Amino acid sequence: MVSQPVDSVVLEDETWERVDKATGGAAAPCFQCGVCTAICPLGLVKGETISIRKMVRQAQLGLPGWADGLWECTTCLWCESRCPHEVDITKAILGLRQLAWKEREVPEGLPTLLWDIYFDGNAWGRPPSERPLWTKGMTVKEFSPDDEILLYVGDDAAYDRRIQKVARALVSLFEAAGVTFGTLGEREPSCGDAVRSVGHGEYAAEIIDANSRLFQEAGVKTIVTVSPHSYDMFANRYPNLSGDFRPLHYSQYLLELIEGERLKFENELPLKVTYHDPCYLSRRNGICDEPRQVLQSIPGLELLEMERSREDTLCCGGGGGRMWMETAAGERFSDLRIAEAAETGAEVVVTCCPHCLSCLEDSLSVVGKSKLRVMDLAEVAHLALQSEAVASDATSGRS
Amino acid sequence: MRPLHIIACVKVVPKPEEVKVNSETMTIERGDVRSEINPPDMNVLEMALTLKEQHGGKVTVVAMGPPLFAPYLRLALAMGADEAYLLSDRAFAAADTLATSYALAQGIRKIGDYDLILCGEESSDGATAQVPPGIAEWLNASQITYAEDLEVLPDSGMVKAKRELAGGYEVIQVPLPCTASVKVGANEPRFMDMERKAWAEAEGPVTIWAAEDIDVDPEMIGLPGSPTIVDGLAQAEATERKREFLAGTPQEQAKALVERLQAYL
Amino acid sequence: MTKSLYGAKEANAIWVYLEQDEGRLEGVSLELMGKARELANGRGIPVVGVLLGDQLSGLAQEAIAAGADEVRVADDPLLRQYTTDGYTKVFTELILEGKPDILLLGATPNGRDLAGRIAVRLRTGLTADCTDLKLEEETGLLIGEVTGFGGGILAYIKCPDNRPQMATVRPGVFAVPEPDTARQAKVVSVPVKLAEKDIKVQVVEHAVGQGVDITKAEVLVAAGRGCQGDFTLVNELASLLDGEVGWSRVPVDEGWVSRDCMIGQTGYVTRPKLAIVCGISGAFQFTVGVEKAETIVAINIDAEAPIFEQADYCIVDDMFNVLPPLIEAVKRARGGNGGR
Repeated sequence: MVSQPVDSVVLEDETWERVDKATGGAAAPCFQCGVCTAICPLGLVKGETISIRKMVRQAQLGLPGWADGLWECTTCLWCESRCPHEVDITKAILGLRQLAWKEREVPEGLPTLLWDIYFDGNAWGRPPSERPLWTKGMTVKEFSPDDEILLYVGDDAAYDRRIQKVARALVSLFEAAGVTFGTLGEREPSCGDAVRSVGHGEYAAEIIDANSRLFQEAGVKTIVTVSPHSYDMFANRYPNLSGDFRPLHYSQYLLELIEGERLKFENELPLKVTYHDPCYLSRRNGICDEPRQVLQSIPGLELLEMERSREDTLCCGGGGGRMWMETAAGERFSDLRIAEAAETGAEVVVTCCPHCLSCLEDSLSVVGKSKLRVMDLAEVAHLALQSEAVASDATSGRS
Repeated sequence: MRPLHIIACVKVVPKPEEVKVNSETMTIERGDVRSEINPPDMNVLEMALTLKEQHGGKVTVVAMGPPLFAPYLRLALAMGADEAYLLSDRAFAAADTLATSYALAQGIRKIGDYDLILCGEESSDGATAQVPPGIAEWLNASQITYAEDLEVLPDSGMVKAKRELAGGYEVIQVPLPCTASVKVGANEPRFMDMERKAWAEAEGPVTIWAAEDIDVDPEMIGLPGSPTIVDGLAQAEATERKREFLAGTPQEQAKALVERLQAYL
Repeated sequence: MTKSLYGAKEANAIWVYLEQDEGRLEGVSLELMGKARELANGRGIPVVGVLLGDQLSGLAQEAIAAGADEVRVADDPLLRQYTTDGYTKVFTELILEGKPDILLLGATPNGRDLAGRIAVRLRTGLTADCTDLKLEEETGLLIGEVTGFGGGILAYIKCPDNRPQMATVRPGVFAVPEPDTARQAKVVSVPVKLAEKDIKVQVVEHAVGQGVDITKAEVLVAAGRGCQGDFTLVNELASLLDGEVGWSRVPVDEGWVSRDCMIGQTGYVTRPKLAIVCGISGAFQFTVGVEKAETIVAINIDAEAPIFEQADYCIVDDMFNVLPPLIEAVKRARGGNGGR
């Protein structure tokens, strides 16, 4: 929907109330300074900025119609991190998206995404009975309450062949550390992040409700996720299920295992790596040290930092539902990120988020920095654990 | 434009990948199998709701099946349909397409006052595609099969549609009332509104009709009304393929492949 | 019991609907004629072809060469284009007059459009999309083999009492018989009782035969997600092999191509001698459209793609790495530069 320039606008109470309710009043503190618009990374790839300020203004005044850019936001939080009034910009944008759902003015493909989650329990629309197939050849049991952790695999690690390798690497690491764990197998539900990020807050609330009951009934305490997005949901948007409910991203859990000396890296892995902070892990949840400490516990590994690192990381472009929308070639954040990674002189760019992994690998094949490889943190750790880890294994192909 | 009354026929089917044959009893195992709304019927609902938005009127959902269908009919209400009727009775069971289309037609006749009856082109389980023309014949209505889009011409009592044919298409125009079968993928089905879903679950009008509630000849429904019978079942066997993986560089693989495909060159 | 308008005692002969469009006989009609001939042989059952249209008795000869003992032709300007109204009325009257025991139709869109309506008008049983047809030994009853549930289950269907026993069969299931041009048989012109008011359908546009019919292709090169919208190499390979190009659902959903040559459960079921499947993962919704191929070659970057289960020759690589050398190798094998 292209917004038309208007000479004057009539503000209507009823519209204002709907918008205020949908956005939770998030836009109220905004005083229209425009910092958000100036710094939004979409400006880097699109040659012109997306007016976040205008979207927030729309939310403040209850204006009808949809601004350009409503669906381009990846919810990377960069704008919020610099907003002088700490406006919850994400909440405003997601609220506007929820209203767009009510008007049925959403990008093509998104209704299908939600139906896939509804009927098949995963964002890929693949048969639910195929959810456990990623474990082929490995022994992964159903979770029982005596297990130390529930491994929450997530849609991407369950169904995407590339990301399945991450889950499998984690299983090997847990086995090496003697962790008792299980998964929810076919019953594992979608965490709700995909639904929330495309703006259907109401459906996301239903999912959170149903899943909370499922976790409670199953006796889940410590839940370790593959994806920072699932982690974000469980840690911040799920109710506190019990005193013992402890959501962790796997990077945090691996560090616990390392610090508890259950996981030891004895062999050298002489790799030059750089680490790309997933924005949902670092900026959104302050988890910057743990993945680095895991890497630094591997002998021989050299960690080089990109300039935009830690809470200043550049989003890969996959958040905010963008994984299910087309991003034009040449407008991808991850292209920039690959270039930055290459500049550090690293051989491998390591990350620990399925969206980041997919986006970075996509960009790598387009941008063509052939000496660089993208690996997941779990894959690097698993490689380090194997008795004859050779650097050339890592650089000659994907693990 | 006068308002339209659109009947959307919907079937709930087992997820195809989960269905297996019990080789001992030679019956379909449906026990734990998950269900879904037959995919083209989702396109039917979307088409019906779009027409309602364009012309005003109402969308009535009709289905024939066991009580487990009811929650799925509520999903249809959540999408925007106005009311639903489920023909559910042991007497309707084990029906072939003749008996099924007859029962549905009689149910639709009882609902009455319809302009358009929309059905999915075929169901993922039986896949006969026979029910839509069957309903049309029982009701003496015009029919359009394999419709990709449907346009009700205002004030003319006619409906126009593009039909997909093998190697092409045609556009035809027929008078209302009309029964149309809709191609899967003809549109993108809208997602439900959660507030409407709450209403649909709490008080959405879903009426269950037994055989005695509608005007049917008991000899023409269910098993008695089915001229065809299933004389046996088997698990389908896949053709045995060679599954020979060709190794080497792309050049080597190409060479090896061409050697094996000599007969076709 | 819903009784049909006539019973088994009066019924005789196998009838085959000869579907034509714009003066061309559909291949499936000849395939069915061949199968009917096969079923009839040894049992002394007459095989009758039924042709509806305008000025096309010339097509009757093709049906006879395929095995018909008789062809009944309903020739009328109002039958020039297929309409449900016109064809249902005329065909039903022919059937009630001739009382066939078995009636076979091709499961083309119009074939199914017609069959579904006729079956109800006649109050008889119709078995759809048969993958095989047999006559029961003792009774001579038609047994239709059908698949359900995405192709995983086979069922055998009979219609013991109602007549005609109707069945539709998809194009490519049976082979086109070798034409016996010397064969002689009766061509009977039947009176047509049809008036303009009987036909309520207006055909506004009819655009068939402009596209490619991939169900007739002997060589098929298919592309899916892996081609990323670029069909150049696929087109070149198909052209070199005198074949056609098809695709899975992904290119259609991505908007790279239209549905014209879409292979699979909701597309076309093909029966080529050779199918080369590139960048297609091979979910069953696709493979049902190609599994009848004599030989299947699969090229996919993912070693675990399900398509490899259904292929004779498997190459694990990006199709863009494999197709150029393959094209060169085919050119060399055919001799000279650029093949034919």
